[in-house]
Amino acid sequence: MKNLFAFALSSLMRRGSKNLFIFVIFALMIFILASIFMITHSLKVEMFTTLEALPDITVQRVVAGKQTDIEADRSETIARIFGVSDAIPRVWGYYYFPKAGVNFSIVGVEAFGKQYKKELDMVADTYAEGLVEEDTMIVGQGVYETLKRNFFNDYFYFVKPDGELTKVTVGGVFKPATTLESNDIIVMESSLVRDIFGMEEGAATDIVVHVANPEEVATIAKKIGEHYPDTRVITKEDLRISYQNVFDYKSGIFLALFIIAIFTFFIIIYDKASGLSSEEKREIGILKALGWKIGDILNVKFFEAAVISVGAYFLAVTLALGYVFGLGAPLMRDLFMGYSVLKPPFDLPFALDGGTLALIFFTTVPVYIAATLIPSWKAATLEADEVIR
Amino acid sequence: MNLLSPDVIAILLLDGILFLFALIALAISVQIVRKWDRNATTPLQYALEKRAYLVATIIEYIFYLKLPLFLYFIYTLDNLSNILPGAMCAAGVTNATVYGLPLFVVKILDLYLFGFWIVLHRIDMKKPDYPFTKMKFWFFILIFPFFTLEVVLEALHMGGINPHVIVSCCGTLFSAAKSSAVSAFITLPTPLILGLFYGNFVLIAVAWLFKRAFWTALFNLLFIPVAIVSLIAFFSTYVYEMPHHHCPFCLLQSDYHYVGYFLYTFLFGGTFYGIAAWIAEKLGYGTVRGWLNRSIVLDTLYLFVVSYYPISFYLKNGVWL
Repeated sequence: MKNLFAFALSSLMRRGSKNLFIFVIFALMIFILASIFMITHSLKVEMFTTLEALPDITVQRVVAGKQTDIEADRSETIARIFGVSDAIPRVWGYYYFPKAGVNFSIVGVEAFGKQYKKELDMVADTYAEGLVEEDTMIVGQGVYETLKRNFFNDYFYFVKPDGELTKVTVGGVFKPATTLESNDIIVMESSLVRDIFGMEEGAATDIVVHVANPEEVATIAKKIGEHYPDTRVITKEDLRISYQNVFDYKSGIFLALFIIAIFTFFIIIYDKASGLSSEEKREIGILKALGWKIGDILNVKFFEAAVISVGAYFLAVTLALGYVFGLGAPLMRDLFMGYSVLKPPFDLPFALDGGTLALIFFTTVPVYIAATLIPSWKAATLEADEVIR
Repeated sequence: MNLLSPDVIAILLLDGILFLFALIALAISVQIVRKWDRNATTPLQYALEKRAYLVATIIEYIFYLKLPLFLYFIYTLDNLSNILPGAMCAAGVTNATVYGLPLFVVKILDLYLFGFWIVLHRIDMKKPDYPFTKMKFWFFILIFPFFTLEVVLEALHMGGINPHVIVSCCGTLFSAAKSSAVSAFITLPTPLILGLFYGNFVLIAVAWLFKRAFWTALFNLLFIPVAIVSLIAFFSTYVYEMPHHHCPFCLLQSDYHYVGYFLYTFLFGGTFYGIAAWIAEKLGYGTVRGWLNRSIVLDTLYLFVVSYYPISFYLKNGVWL
């Protein structure tokens, strides 16, 4: 067996240029596939980590299929449901700033109150005095820079729905962004946010609910839905599933395209491997005349295919690791993330599991070996006397 | 909709390729069964001998790919349980359609059948006059419908999974409260289950000591259902350290150190060699001793691993579940 393997290696070397071509193309295909899977897996892991910080349940009001404002005092009824640790109405929205072409996320807080998120608690506590003063906002670093670039140094004029202007002064700037989302955020008093968006007094965008025991989330979500039939109740689990589906969908479509490519490759390999040169034929003839059996030549051919495909697999996966996690997958990551001016660049977190590696392996290596099966058999069953002549 | 999950596409793609190759092998097998004549010197016989090699190569390729692919299949089912509401492990995904459970059974059966084919082939190749050639191609023609069934069931199952329908978790599937075939096992008295399991193993060991391949094969064949039932009814609760957790699939998850992959490899490997040894002996193949030894080693490993859990539980806590 060992000798056959050595023979297969030397036979590959002798026909270097032909095999090198196949090797390079195959490695390139695996590289692209591996990069896509690594990027999606990494983003998925990142999304799921962010997801952990989200509230257990979000309650939105839906009228005629569109989301609208919800009465903030519904949160008190929801908070009374057994098992709910707290229910907080949120006032927030996107404000489009046409001059810079960006969206700000305006988030309302109650100074001195409890916020629905730990990071907001910190901001609200630090700048509490500033926030209660008339028309003050705390902005993220990215927002601050955008405003400055447009000559709003310490204030900004928000255009209300009725066309009136509201002047809001900048009371503070976040410390450099720690999380992905905090860069485009403007924090201000809830009443001011309502004023800017033209919302009614006592209205909220949605209500977030925290549940003490994660096992009870589904039951509580059902109770809320039954109590307020005009609401859409979204649990963290729903979001997780839809994220998973989106990523599976994206990489699935890619894989479907890839399969077409690999079948084309299959044909090329089949053709290449079938067209033995007269030199190769003579070699096989001599080997058989020397007493090699059909099984031996099949083994050699199998080893050749295995060396090329497994070698290409390892090379491609290593390169993809460097490309995705070392270089941050330039060009390709945009396929999956899109881009936004204000979003800070962030690194793809290193995430790799056996499942991804197995998936890459199963979609490439066995297909290559399958393509060489019949040509190998054809070569192995050549007759010595027919070809040596 | 689930068809777009990359893992599912990969599995269907590979099984599609395997099926195409199996079709080629079937066509040649039919030819060989009809026209094979060991003593003929016609060009046809000559061509058939060559084609026999192709079939053997194809079947070996299918078998050696199916082994890791089976593990990957289980892994994929486990992964899909993240998407399906209600499912917490592969059990729920398997039960998402009516085809799931038969698919599992046929998949395992196919692995055994392809394995036995390779055993037959190896023995055939050792003899100078290839006495079993016709027999092994008959055997493949018999295997082929099972393989077809597997591919069809797989397509139906994967295509039939609806991610919006709530499925049952293993907690309800394997509970004693429901009246199903499984719950009947669980309510069996523990001494009976343990008696059957260890008794069966002792029988295998005795048969091995006296080198009786037939009895080893028979007891190993029995051992497959006995081991699985005792695993569900008794041993799994100790792995989970929970008296009502009976699932044979959750063993495969990282929470339990993937112990299931080892357990099933030992069990299926051990019983496979035990039965294969008898087939080899029947065909007049000399060295079955090695296979019997492999069988007893794997069976014993299985026994040790499953027994470890209740014993260590008792040593740690001083009580039985």
